[in-house]
Amino acid sequence: MMMLQADSLHIKRANRAALNGINFHVNSGEIYALLGGNGAGKSTTLLSFLGFLKPSQGQVRVKGIEVKSNIAAARKVMTYLPESASLYDHMNAYENLKYFLQLAKRHVTESDIQHALNRVSLNQDSWKIKLRDYSKGMRQKVAIALSILRDTDILLLDEPTSGLDPAAIDEFHALIRDLANNGKAILMVTHDVYGACQVAERIGLLRDGQLVGEFSSHSDAPIDPQIVHSAFLRNK
Amino acid sequence: MNPLETPFIKTIRREIAFTARDHTVWFWMIIVTCLSVLSVAFGQAEIKHQHVQIQSLVQANEASNTLESSKWNDWGSAAFYHYHMTYDAPSDFAFAALGQRDNQPWKHRIRMLALEGQIYERDVSNPSITIIGRFDFSFLAAFVFPLILIMLLYDLRASEIKAGRYHLLVSSVSHIASLWPLRTILRTTAVLLCLLVPMIFAGAINGTSLSTLLQASIMVLLFTLFWSVVCYIVSAWRQSSAIILTTLVGLWVVTAVVLPAGAKVAIDKAVPLPSGADILLHQRETVNDAWDIPKEITMNNFLQRHPKWANYQPKPPSFDWPWYYAFQQVGDQATENLSTAYRNGRLQRDRIAGWVSLIAPSSLLERSLQSLANTGTAASIDYEDRVRIYHSKLREFYYPKLFRHEPYDKTHLNKVPRFNGR
Ligand SMILES: Nc1ncnc2c1ncn2[C@@H]1O[C@H](COP(=O)(O)OP(=O)(O)OP(=O)(O)O)[C@@H](O)[C@H]1O
Ligand SMILES: [Mg+2]
Repeated sequence: MMMLQADSLHIKRANRAALNGINFHVNSGEIYALLGGNGAGKSTTLLSFLGFLKPSQGQVRVKGIEVKSNIAAARKVMTYLPESASLYDHMNAYENLKYFLQLAKRHVTESDIQHALNRVSLNQDSWKIKLRDYSKGMRQKVAIALSILRDTDILLLDEPTSGLDPAAIDEFHALIRDLANNGKAILMVTHDVYGACQVAERIGLLRDGQLVGEFSSHSDAPIDPQIVHSAFLRNK
Repeated sequence: MNPLETPFIKTIRREIAFTARDHTVWFWMIIVTCLSVLSVAFGQAEIKHQHVQIQSLVQANEASNTLESSKWNDWGSAAFYHYHMTYDAPSDFAFAALGQRDNQPWKHRIRMLALEGQIYERDVSNPSITIIGRFDFSFLAAFVFPLILIMLLYDLRASEIKAGRYHLLVSSVSHIASLWPLRTILRTTAVLLCLLVPMIFAGAINGTSLSTLLQASIMVLLFTLFWSVVCYIVSAWRQSSAIILTTLVGLWVVTAVVLPAGAKVAIDKAVPLPSGADILLHQRETVNDAWDIPKEITMNNFLQRHPKWANYQPKPPSFDWPWYYAFQQVGDQATENLSTAYRNGRLQRDRIAGWVSLIAPSSLLERSLQSLANTGTAASIDYEDRVRIYHSKLREFYYPKLFRHEPYDKTHLNKVPRFNGR
């Protein structure tokens, strides 16, 4: 089922075209990675799915609903992990998760929270420490735990692996693979070509607000990082 | 369903818990509480001082009258040496809004002589120079409190944008009304309570009526509502927190400082007033001149207005007391126009200031609290009027005795009208 859909999407930011007619979609059970240089329009794409940026032309659809026509309904089925996610510094991991889940009216038990924190392998000693005393990667792990706990059909992840160590990145990939296998649709922005090739079914390459290439894996062969890498550099 | 578990209550509990974790909120709550306690304590001390002053002045005056009364041997000297305390006792809410009691007289020691000069004597030595009164509750609520609200509310959204949480928060929350509006309401309520509780507490101690306290609370509440709505609207603006803060403080400067001060200058210019000193000097001149002009002229001036005493016969060779009091009253007649102009001019200035305050909410709140506390210009002029009425009662008491040459009888002094200081 088509969970996310961009149809000739145009977005203007600060009077300049940030997205210039892009078309792609993400199915349920699929991980789609958006690659591209700085300022290519990756974060802009996610924000337009969330209804924060209105298309000047074209449209975005979430589960078939045009976002513009029902922002609240669209947001309800999506979890967003912002670029360099920062939760509240003056609260610990537990308090942050509880607060953001209450905000979304998502009921979870203590053991759900513990389970999620374990899944992102956040050291149990640090659960009750305020986030201001966390490292960048530790904060990122809490934000990822939040994304799991929201338990929505769609995940929009903006550079989720930034700040994570290699072991944590591997764990994260295993985690989203698992989520996708359970039917979630995942749209992930990343700069990590090799990681993307490892985990994603499809990769979209953005440049100056345009989708300049799309790569798909096949049941027998994952996407070849070499090809993506050279396409990335060629389009620079 | 447990009433404490309804979604609405849960949402409020969520944000209360969130707000309670915020140290800046606690910081401002403590600041507001301290300022409120201080302002109420200052006001309370000042009011207590005024009560004590009134009491001791009344006592001292009684004592000196008693002491002096042995020397009085006719109605003329009795009226001359007999001093009377008039005063406007502070109301039970004056502690919260001292108002004009700072720079307008609220006590006089008067006698049967020309009155207007006695009323304005203090204005000569103590001209009013203050625009902003002393630090009392009304000043805190009307001028300082909005600044604290601004500090608390200006970057509610901008700080979340800066921290990169804005899109996460807005895309997560199930009802947007439970985010910014609720956060605004909770923060505002927290500091509003800190502001009001000390005032209500002091009111309870002073025996202030419940309706007065309720009215005052509603006034402050409406004013707070105004500022929090302004903060809410301006802070929704997609600008940096610095620009939002500058805009809000600018609004405060305009409505709380520039408008009232500018209006004061403009009103003072538009409605000129004779000064109290003019009245005093003019009266003194008239009274002093009376010694040098023929008695008939003075008496004619007096009798024109008070034909009742036309049959009076001077009783030489004794000092002519009736003539003496007549020229005192002629002194009042001479300054009548000035006094009326002064009185009505102040009332008119006050009325215009009242209209202007409709666009300067801080002034509006301050004035409303002062009128609730009976400490505004109108109350001060009302007191002067009561002094005039009282003085005319004194004349009504003494004139028959003087003009009909009634024999002096000490026991009649019990019947001298007494000022009702409320
Ligand atoms: N807050 C903003 N206001 C106005 N324009 C913006 C804003 N953020 C980004 N842009 C513009 O939108 C375009 C796309 O930016 P976007 O943030 O989507 O890039 P990105 O692909 O996410 O880059 P990066 O890898 O650096 O995160 C850029 O040209 C940028 O100048
Ligand atoms: Mg980005």
